[in-house]
Amino acid sequence: MRIQKDLKMADVIHMNHHLLHVINRFGIQLGFGDNTVEEVCRNYNVNLDFFLEIVNTYHDPTYFPLGDLQKFPASMLIRYLQKTHQFYLEVKIPEIEVAIQNLIDNVAFEADHLHLLKDFFNNYKNELTDHINKEEQRVYPYALALEHQLANEGHLLEEGLVKANYSIHDYEEDHDDVESKLFDLKNIIIKYLPSPLESVRFNSILHELFELEKDLNNHGHIEDLILIPIVERMESEVAHRIAK
Amino acid sequence: MKQLRILLIEESFIVREGVKTLLSLLGRPYSMEECEALSMGLSRLLSRIEPNIVIVNPILLKDYSVYPRKINNKAVFFVGLCDDSVDKQLSGRFDFVLSIKDDKVSLLQQLEKILEKANFGSNHQESNTLSERETSVLKCVALGLTNNEIGEKLFISTHTVMTHRKNITRKLGIKTVSGLTVYAILNKLIKVEELQITVNKEDE
Repeated sequence: MRIQKDLKMADVIHMNHHLLHVINRFGIQLGFGDNTVEEVCRNYNVNLDFFLEIVNTYHDPTYFPLGDLQKFPASMLIRYLQKTHQFYLEVKIPEIEVAIQNLIDNVAFEADHLHLLKDFFNNYKNELTDHINKEEQRVYPYALALEHQLANEGHLLEEGLVKANYSIHDYEEDHDDVESKLFDLKNIIIKYLPSPLESVRFNSILHELFELEKDLNNHGHIEDLILIPIVERMESEVAHRIAK
Repeated sequence: MKQLRILLIEESFIVREGVKTLLSLLGRPYSMEECEALSMGLSRLLSRIEPNIVIVNPILLKDYSVYPRKINNKAVFFVGLCDDSVDKQLSGRFDFVLSIKDDKVSLLQQLEKILEKANFGSNHQESNTLSERETSVLKCVALGLTNNEIGEKLFISTHTVMTHRKNITRKLGIKTVSGLTVYAILNKLIKVEELQITVNKEDE
């Protein structure tokens, strides 16, 4: 079901509590009372249409934006995407690390297998961090520079950007390995770890991994569905202006 | 259980969604391709998708008097999505007929039967255990050897190595090299010490 502006925010959360992380990224706090999505957004000074696109892509992985996405400035989207990066690196990943360390510290049986798991996760963390850094250092600044250039009509693009001939499509394929590693980690725990006595402890780790995966998928989805079309449009507009 | 490939050909979006919902309620593994119309001709479509089951609105097949029973030597079942207006002659050509006016429970029961039959028809059950060859390839991959090195060591072509790797990934559900390494250690195919030796060798 599509989330509409007239729904009560409280009902939205009842419908899908995973959205709590998402609304936090907009700075929205609990205690909605009977306020609708529209009212809550107004109170927190959040762009309603943008909010709806984001929660809907999160709520329904098959959601396809119907509205005009071009109306959102790239900078607005990037602010959100940066918040999600922050969430992974500062909240989610440390939580999982703590959970794995707890397991190692508290299990009675030999912890060899768990060290393998820890190393694997460390590896994954490094890759995710690299991936995030690349986006923050190359992709987002590129999109922001395009936006800036278009806003200051008449100015020519900085030479560096034109020369690099960098296109937003150069980074698309990168998502794959980060996703595969997470997938493998889940499968190793679910299928291949020798049946642990304290399986319950693994539940919370798995739960966190599934959450992280869902969030990452949505992050990629937003980039593909919203950010890339916006950047493509800016690219062609810049090319058009240069041609003139 | 083997994953069935289902091809759904039906003009109406609502009917297509309905069929998909019913199928998803059965909880059997399948993959689905859908078409609104037969734009490219039946046999071309079938040989491209290679479905086990074709669920189709008979009206769309009215120009065909015979439907293929096998595609590339694999059996294919035709299921007609019929309403009252479809005449007997047309519906008689199908292996199964689903009446779109039936209630939910009976539709589910019929679909369950059809999937059961098609699963049986495609008989061979996919095994998830690795063959001896695949196990040797897995060991090498886990130790960090490249496809070329593995080919040389096992006297097989790089292409064959790649095929083995694809099968290993499909069978185990593990995609990355480091994931396969963990699997190999957990299953005592390689020892942690061996791993360190190869890693050190790379450093030199």
